[in-house]
Amino acid sequence: MNFTRRSLKQVAAVFSLSSALAAPVIAEDIVWARYGDIDSLDPHRATSTLSLQVWSLVYDTLLAMDADGNPVPHIAKSWSSNDAGTEYTFSLEAGVLCHDGTPLDANDVKYTIDAAFNEATPSLTKGSWGPITAAEIIDPLTIKLTLDSPFVAMVPFLADSFSSIICDTNGDGFGTTTAIGSGPWKLKSWTKGDRLVFEKNADYTNFGKLADNPGAPYEDGLIITVVPEPQARLAALKTNEVHIAEPPFDDVPMIKKSGELEIVVAENTGQNVFWEFAIHRPPFNDVRARLAVAHATDAATAINLIYGDLSIPENCPISRGVFGNDQDFCAKYRPAYDPEKAKALLAELGYSMDQPLETAMLVWTGGNRQKLGEVFQAQLAEVGIKATIEIMDIGSLNARVRQENENKEGTKGSMDMMTWSWYDPDILFALWHTPGAYRGYTSPELDAILDETRILTDPDARKVKVQEAMAYLLEKAIHVPLYTPGWEWVFAVSPNVEGFKVAPFVYPIFSDIKLGG
Amino acid sequence: MWRFLGTRLAMGFLTIWVTTVLVTLLIHAVPGDPVQIMYAQSQGTTPEQIEQVRRSLGLDQPIPIQYLMYMERLFQGDLGVTIRGGQPVLEVIVQRLPNTLMLAVTAMFIAVLIGVPMGFLAAYREGTLVDIGLMFLSIAGISMPHFWLGLMLLFFFALELGWLPVSGNGGLNLILPALTLGLSNAAIFARLTRSSMIDVMSQDFVQTAFAKGLPKALVLRRHVMRAGLLPVVTMMGLQFAFMMGGAIVVENIFSWNGVGRMAVEAIFQRDYPIIQGFILTFSLVVVIVAIVIDALYAVLDPRIRRA
Repeated sequence: MNFTRRSLKQVAAVFSLSSALAAPVIAEDIVWARYGDIDSLDPHRATSTLSLQVWSLVYDTLLAMDADGNPVPHIAKSWSSNDAGTEYTFSLEAGVLCHDGTPLDANDVKYTIDAAFNEATPSLTKGSWGPITAAEIIDPLTIKLTLDSPFVAMVPFLADSFSSIICDTNGDGFGTTTAIGSGPWKLKSWTKGDRLVFEKNADYTNFGKLADNPGAPYEDGLIITVVPEPQARLAALKTNEVHIAEPPFDDVPMIKKSGELEIVVAENTGQNVFWEFAIHRPPFNDVRARLAVAHATDAATAINLIYGDLSIPENCPISRGVFGNDQDFCAKYRPAYDPEKAKALLAELGYSMDQPLETAMLVWTGGNRQKLGEVFQAQLAEVGIKATIEIMDIGSLNARVRQENENKEGTKGSMDMMTWSWYDPDILFALWHTPGAYRGYTSPELDAILDETRILTDPDARKVKVQEAMAYLLEKAIHVPLYTPGWEWVFAVSPNVEGFKVAPFVYPIFSDIKLGG
Repeated sequence: MWRFLGTRLAMGFLTIWVTTVLVTLLIHAVPGDPVQIMYAQSQGTTPEQIEQVRRSLGLDQPIPIQYLMYMERLFQGDLGVTIRGGQPVLEVIVQRLPNTLMLAVTAMFIAVLIGVPMGFLAAYREGTLVDIGLMFLSIAGISMPHFWLGLMLLFFFALELGWLPVSGNGGLNLILPALTLGLSNAAIFARLTRSSMIDVMSQDFVQTAFAKGLPKALVLRRHVMRAGLLPVVTMMGLQFAFMMGGAIVVENIFSWNGVGRMAVEAIFQRDYPIIQGFILTFSLVVVIVAIVIDALYAVLDPRIRRA
């Protein structure tokens, strides 16, 4: 056989091509894979956790949350309010720059607030800013907000990414192709449905966010990519295409055992998964039927069976990490697991094992919630409640729950495993104050309690009122807490990532990350 | 020929029109409109504000009026803007449609390239172990769901061997999703080719050609293949539509940024303009492919033209 120089070169080329193909694809920037994409880069146009997490990287907020979920100074180095709680004055840090090099000052804060209150396109979270009637620029680094009435939940809101400060240089394409903020990461591109590409903001100064790094991120780039299939995310982690991703739940024990990847579980997420009921028709218009469900539900066993130690039972209608949460207090009012008591209550209502109470059980798809629903279904069956599980996406669930509350005819019940997350007990106002997020249970008595929780500026007095609201909801089994956290809270992290952590309310921090290995 | 094409075009437009009507009716039958869903977990937005947003999007109008408004915009070449994000729908689709088309065409190429020779060989060796073996393989191929085959290919080629990337939209990323879609369709083509070839080979004109002493290769190429491939060509048109549909599952597994995934996301969010735009584009592509296939069929078989 004769080898010419040319044929040898061809063979060498084939070998080098195959070795290039065989080489694992190594990511150079930090790559975070998630199951879905953001809705918008405009913080006023979405409410999903997927969107919030991205805004927290692009934009700054006036305040930040500490590890316990308390608001601390950030872009605003200090703030004060009048005694009535109707005027707040914020002093801004000097020298903060937007990604386009312009200074971030009071004009940008006013621009953001005006955009939130724009009558034509109000922010999806307009109500959470509070009854702001004016945003007045005192000087370039001082802004005064005037409120129609006291609203204590505004301060923690200003530490959440819903209140991200948008630079006033954002023009056409804002929210889709442009997103100028002052956060640690600058947007390079967004390919909808595929990926967001960021470069580090070299001018960044961290005043109050939980990152240890006081300045710009250590790594040059960050890519947030969409990988809907959990097994594909895990495979990408193993091949180093991806550094951080939510793993398939069923594989978490195996991942932990193998030690191949680190599992990071977010704490203090504020996420609350709970039972609620179609309250305006039988059987759940009777408190005994709701209590029967609550007493028949052994959340601790079910959670342990499905999530192991990744999630924990929750006693309060507002979850751990949120102001007012107190497990011992809530345990006194939350109907405890007691199947005999559940049977007795059902018997009083005329139900038995032969003639069970029939209800639909609406469950949000994903995150193994369908399996959890099956465990709950079996628990309810043991006391004589026949629940038919209906799995649906979160959009359908929200629409359906409201529909069920508006339907006052019929005798078949409807209950749902609802999920909400918020950084403040004001969530109870949104859910249960007239007219109610889903048009469910409301009462003048509860309205009065919830009104008070918004205006009491003294934290101790407010806590008492929040607890009063929680006791009311628990005793009447209106809001039966099950567990926390509930979604997007587990991260598998590649071994060559150092410094990854998750701040309260599921905000991953990338500024501290150093890629090595 | 022109009359033939004209009829096909007219039927194509009718199909697309019926599809748009059905989709408009169906998306409104699902509980929850896009604004309701968008604002469902919004803190403190008043019902009046939500109603104002609904009005601005025309969602307060009766369904027939909404449909007419949509058609009016459509005739002006405007597919509307997405409800979430406010991007032009056309732009969103144009960004992703090439990915899905590339996937479907590559998968079709793989399916034909593997399926037709397999079927031909099985027919040629009818009743032998080769035939039985190939048909067993094809049944296995048809029986494998896309999500299972996709994950198996992913584990083997990306995870175990490390030859190909797991996810993304680069050139190498196309191989695994195209193989997933192509292999199961190859099995369908193999079975169809086999039965068609066996049928043709038993016909008088083929027997006569053999009896005349023509070389075997010539008979197979000129007489058997040309007649036997007609149903295969028809099937290509039908399978293309299935491949576009099947791409939805495959796009999810391999994070391929195509219109299928976009449509699934839009359905969850009830983003009507995207759903309508997707169905319109999808049906347009399928109708165009069907017309091309029909035309090709007419070229291959003069009897069709005359009819």
